[in-house]
Amino acid sequence: MSEPTGVIHDIGYQRYTGPRLGRRHVFGALYLHGLRTVFGLGRTAKAKIFPWLVVGIVTLVAAGITAVRSQIGEVVMTYAQFADSMSWLVIFFVAVAAPELVSRDLRSGVLPLYFSRPLPRDDYPLAKLLALVSAIWLLLGGPQLVMFLGAAFTTDKGMSGVWDELLDLLPGLLYAGLWAAVFASIGLLVASLTGKRAFAAGGIVAVFLMTTPIVGTLSILPSRTINELAFLASPSTLVGGVGTWALGDLLVPEGRGGGVPIGDFGPVYGVAAVLLVAACVALLLLRYRKVAAR
Amino acid sequence: MSTVSWITARGLFGRRRFLMLLPLPLVLVALAVLCRSLGVDPGQWGPPVLVGLGLAVVLPVVALIVGTGVLGAEIDDGTVVHILTKPLPRWQIVLPKLAVAVGVSAATVAVPLYVAGVLADSVRLGLALAAASALGALAYSALFLALSLVTRRPVLLGLVYVLIWEGLLGNFVSGTKVLSIQQWVIALADRMAPTELLSTTVSVPVAGVLTALVSVGFTVLAIDRLRSFSVAGETS
Repeated sequence: MSEPTGVIHDIGYQRYTGPRLGRRHVFGALYLHGLRTVFGLGRTAKAKIFPWLVVGIVTLVAAGITAVRSQIGEVVMTYAQFADSMSWLVIFFVAVAAPELVSRDLRSGVLPLYFSRPLPRDDYPLAKLLALVSAIWLLLGGPQLVMFLGAAFTTDKGMSGVWDELLDLLPGLLYAGLWAAVFASIGLLVASLTGKRAFAAGGIVAVFLMTTPIVGTLSILPSRTINELAFLASPSTLVGGVGTWALGDLLVPEGRGGGVPIGDFGPVYGVAAVLLVAACVALLLLRYRKVAAR
Repeated sequence: MSTVSWITARGLFGRRRFLMLLPLPLVLVALAVLCRSLGVDPGQWGPPVLVGLGLAVVLPVVALIVGTGVLGAEIDDGTVVHILTKPLPRWQIVLPKLAVAVGVSAATVAVPLYVAGVLADSVRLGLALAAASALGALAYSALFLALSLVTRRPVLLGLVYVLIWEGLLGNFVSGTKVLSIQQWVIALADRMAPTELLSTTVSVPVAGVLTALVSVGFTVLAIDRLRSFSVAGETS
C-alpha cells in the first residue's frame, strides 16, 4: 500500500485576531434582541399586530384619561389605578410575548447554538426574563408618562404643580415595575415548558385567569384572616396588596377608597411577592439546566 | 365512530399536555365544596364561582385549547395533509372533529358545573348549568375551529375575543354583551332554572337564536375554508 500523496495547501485563510466581545456583550445582544422580538421590531407586519394592538389600546385609554382631566379637571384614575385596570391587557400581552421569546427557540431546536457561545447557561433565561420585564414596564410606564405630560402642561400651579405631579408619577412607575417583575417571571416560566406557542399562550392565560375568581371566593369566606390573606391567591391582587402596603398613600390618595383591604398582613404580601418571583426564576433556571443538557 | 374522530381523540388525549386541562374543573369543584362546607350563603359565593370562574374562565379557556387543538395542531405540524388527501368530503373531516371538540369540552366543563350548581342551589340549577354550558361549548368550539382555519394564529385571536371582547369590553360597554357567547350561556341557564344567582341583560330568544346561528354559521365557514386550504409553514 503506497503512502498517501495528498497535500494540504495553505490557501491563505487567516485566524481571527481582533478583539473578542465577552459574556457581557452576548447578554446585551440577547436582551436587545428579546426586547425587539416582544414588540415585533425587525420582523414581518404579522408579528407586530398583537403587541401593537395592546400598546395602542393602552395608550388610547391613557390619552382619554388625560383629555378628561385637562378638560373637566376630574382625576379619573391615578397612576397606580391605571396599572390595575389594565391587568387583562397585561395578561394578554404576556401571553403574546412570552411564547414568542422562549417557545420558538425550544421548538426549532436552536438552543445548542446559543450554548456553544461563551454564554453561561443561566444567562440565556435571565436575558429573556429581563427583556420581558422591560417590555411590560414600558407598556405600563409609557402611558403613565403620557398622563404625566398631560397633567404637567395643564397644571395651573406653575412649577410646584409639575413637581407634585412628578412625585405622583414616580411611585406609579415603581408599581409598574412590580407588575412587570411578577407577571414576566410567571409567564416566562409557563412558556418555557412547551415549544408550542399556542399551548404556551393558553397556559399563561389559564394560570392568570383561574386565580382571580379564587380570590373573589376566598374573600367572602366567614373568616377575617382568610379574607385579608385572600389576595395572595392571584398575581394581580398580590401586586395590588404589595402596592397598598409598601407605597400606600402614594398610590391612592386619601378618600378615593382604593387599595386592597389587606389589614395588618402587609409584610406577608411583600415576602410572598419576593418569594413568588424568586421561585419562578429558580424554576426557570432549573428548566434551562435540563433543556441545555439535552 | 369514524376514523377521523378516532384520530382526533387520540391526538387530544395521547399527549401529556391534556393533563393541563384538569386543574381548571378541579378548582371549580374544590371552591364550591369549600364554600358549601363552611356554610357561606350561596347568594354570595354563587356568582363568583359559577359565573366568574365557571362560565367566564373555565368554559372559554377549555373550549379554546380543545377547539383550536383538534385541527390547529395538525395544521401546525403539517399532518393535516394526510387527511386532506384522502377521498373524503370536507364536511366529513370538519364535523367529526367538531363533535370530538364539543364532547371533550362539554364533558370537562358540564360535570364540575353540575356539581357546583347542585351545591349552590338545586339539582335543577345544576342540570340547567350543565345543559347551557354544553350549548356554549358547541358555540365556542365552532367559533375556535373556524378560527384555526381562517388565521394562522387562532389561539391569540381567540384570546382577543375571550379576554378583550367578553372580559374587558363586556364590563365597560354593555352593548357588546349582545354578541358574547358567555352572556348567552348565562341567559339560557337562567331561563332553564330561574334563580337569583345568574343575571344578564341579554334576552332568552336572542341568546338562543344567536347561539344556533354562531354554531351553524362557523361550522359552515370552517367547511368552506377547508375546501380551498393552502398548506404553509409556520408564521413569522
